[in-house]
Amino acid sequence: MATVNLTIKPFKALEGLPRYVYVLAVITALGLLAGAYRLYAGLGVTTNLSTVFPWGLWISFDLTNVAFSGAAFTLAMLVYIFHMHDLHSAVRPTVLFGFLGYSSVLVILFFDLGRWDRFWHFLVYPNLSSALFEVSWCIAIYSGILAYELSPVFLDRFKNEKLSRIVEKITIGMVIAGITLSSMHQSSLGSLFVVQIHRLHPLWYSMMQPEFFLVSSLSAGIAAILIGSYASIWMFKQTLSEKVLEKLGSLLPWFLIAYLLMKVVDLFWGNKIGLLLTSGVYSALYVAELALMLSAAIWFSIKRLRASRQNALYGALIIATGIVINRFTITWFALSALNGVRYFPSWVEILLLIGVSSGVIVVYALIAHFFPVFSETLAVKDLPKHELAKLKIDQPVSGD
Amino acid sequence: MAKYGFLIDASRCIDCRACLVACSVENNVSMKSTRIWIKDSAVTGEFPDLKRYSAPFHCMHCADPSCVSACTVGALKQNADGIITYDNKACIGCRYCMYACPFEVPHFQWDQQFALITKCDFCVSRLEAGQAEPACAATCPTDAIQFGSQKEMLALAHDRIEKQPERYINHVFGEFENGGTSTFYISPVPFDQLGFPTIETTESPAHFNRIATEEGTPIIAGAVALGMTGIYLAMEHFEKKPHTDRKPNGTEEK
Repeated sequence: MATVNLTIKPFKALEGLPRYVYVLAVITALGLLAGAYRLYAGLGVTTNLSTVFPWGLWISFDLTNVAFSGAAFTLAMLVYIFHMHDLHSAVRPTVLFGFLGYSSVLVILFFDLGRWDRFWHFLVYPNLSSALFEVSWCIAIYSGILAYELSPVFLDRFKNEKLSRIVEKITIGMVIAGITLSSMHQSSLGSLFVVQIHRLHPLWYSMMQPEFFLVSSLSAGIAAILIGSYASIWMFKQTLSEKVLEKLGSLLPWFLIAYLLMKVVDLFWGNKIGLLLTSGVYSALYVAELALMLSAAIWFSIKRLRASRQNALYGALIIATGIVINRFTITWFALSALNGVRYFPSWVEILLLIGVSSGVIVVYALIAHFFPVFSETLAVKDLPKHELAKLKIDQPVSGD
Repeated sequence: MAKYGFLIDASRCIDCRACLVACSVENNVSMKSTRIWIKDSAVTGEFPDLKRYSAPFHCMHCADPSCVSACTVGALKQNADGIITYDNKACIGCRYCMYACPFEVPHFQWDQQFALITKCDFCVSRLEAGQAEPACAATCPTDAIQFGSQKEMLALAHDRIEKQPERYINHVFGEFENGGTSTFYISPVPFDQLGFPTIETTESPAHFNRIATEEGTPIIAGAVALGMTGIYLAMEHFEKKPHTDRKPNGTEEK
């Protein structure tokens, strides 16, 4: 057992950390500097937000990120509720991804608040009819639950078996609470736009927005796991087996078709067919999203495609594009459609976002370096030969 | 308590902006962040018969305010007398109210390090101190801004239109807009020409918001919690120890 003393030899402990982590750490620092400048100078000077466009890139990022971070609750549901134990190997990396995803949302939101020093006010000033109040509470509690679901990773490292057993005993209760809270805040993020009937383009406005966001987060979450599994081949030399990817992929057509059916019902029910033909760029975005989701549903219903690592990645990227189009259209492009205002983020907005995103990868890599996040995953060097050849990896685990 | 109301008459406004100054002094804010601003029509007609109309515009104080239903921390509240107040001690500056308000009334202090929302509150502290009118109404030299009970103001608006149909269009802005408000406007020209927002819904967005947040969310939460528990118990029941090594919650306790 290698027992590394973190407090005495921190630099020795960092040996073997991939080199890109250092680069990303520098970018994170730059991003946080931009953030500090925003806190010092105020939102007016540092962002392109304005009276007619009070939310921008950060909110679009937050909502997209929450959808992808839905990976954690989707997987927890499949493994612990639906007993798909063969997906268990994905749990730790996915829960860590979800936890850091939510953390980055909270960090960005902090910079987005006019009174960031009062970020905790939602705890003591309740407004039960506010979707944002609901979202704040759900995300705060859910972050705690994700930390709990993540705790075995740390307990394993410190070999605390007594505590591990206690944690395991109430896991199922925590998982159900986590899924419930996730359903609440995923849908409440959609509720944010229900009140904006006068602002959001009518084609994109729907009373079913909460349900759209909730159901699409299932597909977004699985797509995030598939993409993450591919990215971690290069980043951590770890991945999921094609069997796990195939099983995850096999669920996507169901989630996607459910989403598409809801969208079609909304088109007819809300009398929006006419709008679909006449709304120019908003129609194009609408059709693009639905077409991407439909093609992904077909893609993943073909076993030969979803059973291959590369093809699962392509399919997941199709879904991710659809999700990004959806969230960015609702939070940005179609939000001030009616007063014709254009907005483009400032360099501070962009830099802070890149910095925080890099920070997520840095923290992920650090935790994975010190703690057994990839305890059940497949090391790249153990991949079957034909896969290694496809990935163009000749030497098992060549260094950087 | 009777509800307060404003009647603002665009045919009387001479665009002197004394109301802006009064608002700035009363609320101790810079002229840049007054809670009133002027909406006006472009110059129309042919020389020498030129016309231009203007009207001061501020919070409508809706009967069912969407900002109040949206505010994350409940900083915006509705008084018994219909005033929408703003608590600058609670506000976190999230700007959700700016999206919720169909009249684009809440403004944000973009230039401040610690920025808050600014919004007309009927000079509520002034009224509580026993003064008769908000600063803008007290200052207006042409009585374009009048203050009283909401009922009186609405009656007065209709009365003026009835008595001088050639002077006004037959539309009291604020009577039905957004489910009714406490600020009424009458004007010689259609309100979109004055640059007012076009409000197509006669039901406040707050109504739709409540359906989503107060009905939808509890239903989703309840259904998911019950459904997940039920499916879990059913799976436990029908699937006897298939993967003993991976059981998150041992079946042996049952």
